Amino acid sequence: MNAVERIKEIFSRSLEKKPGPERDNFLAEACSGDSKLRDQVESLLLAYDGAGEFLGKTMLLAPSDFTIERSGTMIGRYKLLQRIGEGGFGVVYMAEQIEPVQRKVALKVIKAGMDTREVVARFEAERQALALMDHPNIARVFDAGATEAGRPYFVMELVNGIPITDYCDREQLSTTQRLQLFMKVCHAVQHAHQKGIIHRDLKPSNVLVTLHDGEPVPKVIDFGVAKALGQKLTEKTLFTPFQNMIGTPAYMSPEQAELSGLDIDTRSDIYSLGVLLYELLTGVTPFDAQMLRQAALDEIRRMIREADPAKPSTRLETLGIRLKDVAKLRHTEPNALRKLVQGDLDWIVMKALEKDRRRRYETPDALASDVARHMCNEPVFASSPSVSYLVGKYARRHKAVLVVSAVLLLLLLAGTGVSTWQAVRATRAERAQSLLRQQAEEARANERQLRLQAEAREKIAQAEAFVRNASPEEADKVMRTISPLLDEMNASNAAAIYFSLGDWAGRQAQWKAAATNYLKSIAGQPANFDAYDKLAPVLVQGGDVRAFEQLRRQMLSRFADSPDPVVAERVINSCLILPWSGPELERVVKIADVGLQVSSNHWAWNYIQFAKALAAYRRGSFVNAAELLQTLLQDQGKDIALDMKAYMVLAMAHHQQGYAGYARDALTTGLRLAARLPSSDNDLKDCKAWSDWVIAQTLLREASAQLNPAISNGADPEHDSNH
Amino acid sequence: MSEVTQILTALEQGENRAAEALLPLVYDELRRLAAWHLANERPGQTLQATALVHEAYLRLVGKSDPQWQGQRHFFGAAAEAMRRILIENARRKSRLKRGGHLERVELEEATIPSPMPDDDLLALDEALNALEKVDARAAELVKLCFFVGLTQEQAAKHLGISISTVERTWAFARAWLFREIRKERQPPV
Repeated sequence: MNAVERIKEIFSRSLEKKPGPERDNFLAEACSGDSKLRDQVESLLLAYDGAGEFLGKTMLLAPSDFTIERSGTMIGRYKLLQRIGEGGFGVVYMAEQIEPVQRKVALKVIKAGMDTREVVARFEAERQALALMDHPNIARVFDAGATEAGRPYFVMELVNGIPITDYCDREQLSTTQRLQLFMKVCHAVQHAHQKGIIHRDLKPSNVLVTLHDGEPVPKVIDFGVAKALGQKLTEKTLFTPFQNMIGTPAYMSPEQAELSGLDIDTRSDIYSLGVLLYELLTGVTPFDAQMLRQAALDEIRRMIREADPAKPSTRLETLGIRLKDVAKLRHTEPNALRKLVQGDLDWIVMKALEKDRRRRYETPDALASDVARHMCNEPVFASSPSVSYLVGKYARRHKAVLVVSAVLLLLLLAGTGVSTWQAVRATRAERAQSLLRQQAEEARANERQLRLQAEAREKIAQAEAFVRNASPEEADKVMRTISPLLDEMNASNAAAIYFSLGDWAGRQAQWKAAATNYLKSIAGQPANFDAYDKLAPVLVQGGDVRAFEQLRRQMLSRFADSPDPVVAERVINSCLILPWSGPELERVVKIADVGLQVSSNHWAWNYIQFAKALAAYRRGSFVNAAELLQTLLQDQGKDIALDMKAYMVLAMAHHQQGYAGYARDALTTGLRLAARLPSSDNDLKDCKAWSDWVIAQTLLREASAQLNPAISNGADPEHDSNH
Repeated sequence: MSEVTQILTALEQGENRAAEALLPLVYDELRRLAAWHLANERPGQTLQATALVHEAYLRLVGKSDPQWQGQRHFFGAAAEAMRRILIENARRKSRLKRGGHLERVELEEATIPSPMPDDDLLALDEALNALEKVDARAAELVKLCFFVGLTQEQAAKHLGISISTVERTWAFARAWLFREIRKERQPPV
């Protein structure tokens, strides 16, 4: 027993003895004269007695190690210049971007979130979609990331403007001018919805108006930010001292105020647009912000959910003396303002503010269209058309015409009697009414489809982000909510979503699910080549060879005659994953000979080269195939999957010619590339990549079987569909 | 199979060098998680290292279940990683206090004093280094129980020893470290 062990032993035993004579005696005995030993043990005992709470509790990590970002600090590749403002969920800085382009941007660092992993996942989901948005009235989001401390930030277009309500008041814009600005905002939100982004926090401070060449340009900012944060309505968020709270109650839709976890969809934004319109028209929000601030949490929720706000025109009346100011800010007089707002605008606003979201406008464009119709004196959809309403509208549009008709009518009246005139009037109104109803229904149906698509896309993006952050259960949960949406969509709209679902399943190696989804996509859009192309390797990998045979025959008959060499290349790539023979093979070879003539500068030259080689190999021209592949591999490195495929086919071509050594070399080299197979979905950014990897694996199996027949019957690790 | 799982499997199979690869991975993950959680906790809340390590485990190893030996390697690495993270933090802050020229400044939000003063933590670190040379298992036990927050039962399982051994080793380690730290503070006359 070494020295330390001895000390430990004696120390432990001493602890078992009562301090005092008992212990002393034991020590004396155990140390048997070794005074150094005794000293050691005694000092330890002393320390032990005096240690108290030392190491008693587990180390806790405390939030005392934050950093605050000051001017001059760098966040990512942005240099902070100046603090612009503070919002409900973070601080906004003006920052400078150096690379790749030098410009000033707005950088918003986000504060507390609830579950940080979820927040980051949502940011990722949003960032992808946000990058796709390109609209003059939406502030571009350039970048997103996390600071060193882990706080998420957004980098956005720097908008030098003021809230839309303030701008309109400052310039004393008339109602018509306000409506024009408002419509632009609607179109912007529509654009976002089509990309699958819901704003969730539309309010005047998020709609800034800036001037371009003297023209006012509204810009909607902070798309997707509220969603990424997943902020819920809590006591704390309501009563923060900041002016701009998240989900300002005045602008919050009933379903957001509900907190029931009901899916917030695009129609929530429409409610907020309704509130904005209300404020632009009347100067106040449907539920008085002041009142809301003072009410208790539950009361607020109840109000938003249940209480019916007054119509804008009615509200104007209750403003009392304020009405004069409000009218002045709209460049008009109180009575005139009330008349303007009464009727159409009332209806439009109230429709947007419907508690039951199914009764609101389906899309922001629909809302804008109704406003437009109002401005042209056409009947708006929001109203319930009564005969006099329709005729009234007709009259206002066609003043001149009506005069003439009136004369005619009078003549008629004189001639035939009142009843006929009334009959004519009634039929015309009826026809107009049913036409209008029909138009409205068609428009609704279209809008509904668009909305469903937008929702589905958003969910897929969300699920992908969850997968990337290793939360497959969350992803599954989200994905399961997509099927009801799909059921409601018509086939061709659903086709695009099914395609995305196929990709999603494929990237997780769920071959059967991927196949099912691609097939559904094809069913909805039979002319969409991409779905066939993706389906082919999935069927092979999933082991459904019969379906694959069917598919490639279909592909050949549908797409063989395409003049585009890239399509031709993909047809060959897909059809020849497995060997073929007979007239079909001949046809494919013909495509290769005829349709693949491109210059060596073509961007897809490598892929086309491979397709030629594959076709040559399948038909038995091994020398030719090997040559083509060797040329290709002189230029390797751009696409590992492609290079691997090339090595596999090269190995087989060598083998068929009897060059066993070369064959083995090629196979080994290719196998080494296989080791770089992306092991997580994070790496599979390019959609095309994963299906090429799948093809590469198929070819690998074929090559291995050829070169090592003994192995071909073993268990196949590549078939494992769980990563 | 995640990279970490691969390493753990390798360690399992006796490839000791794989441990070198494990620590940086675990360290990065813990650091990241710690930073996120800390940056987003409300003032007044603290974070248990145990929770952090388990979260890191789930993220890095996930559902694929290495044998219990694999877990042991992971937690061993996690303990070392946690220790480094905490010590680094403490060093940085103590540099600040001595007027180091740094851009980053402490947040004005409520600053909660660390449960263990930074200087003490630094002293503990040095003492721990010394203990490692004297009794490696005792040092590892301290790391597991103090920095990671395993209970004595869990630690016993991880180290493959009996609970009574753990208790005895723990008592020894505590006494030894305490003595060591005091020695540093009060150099012998």
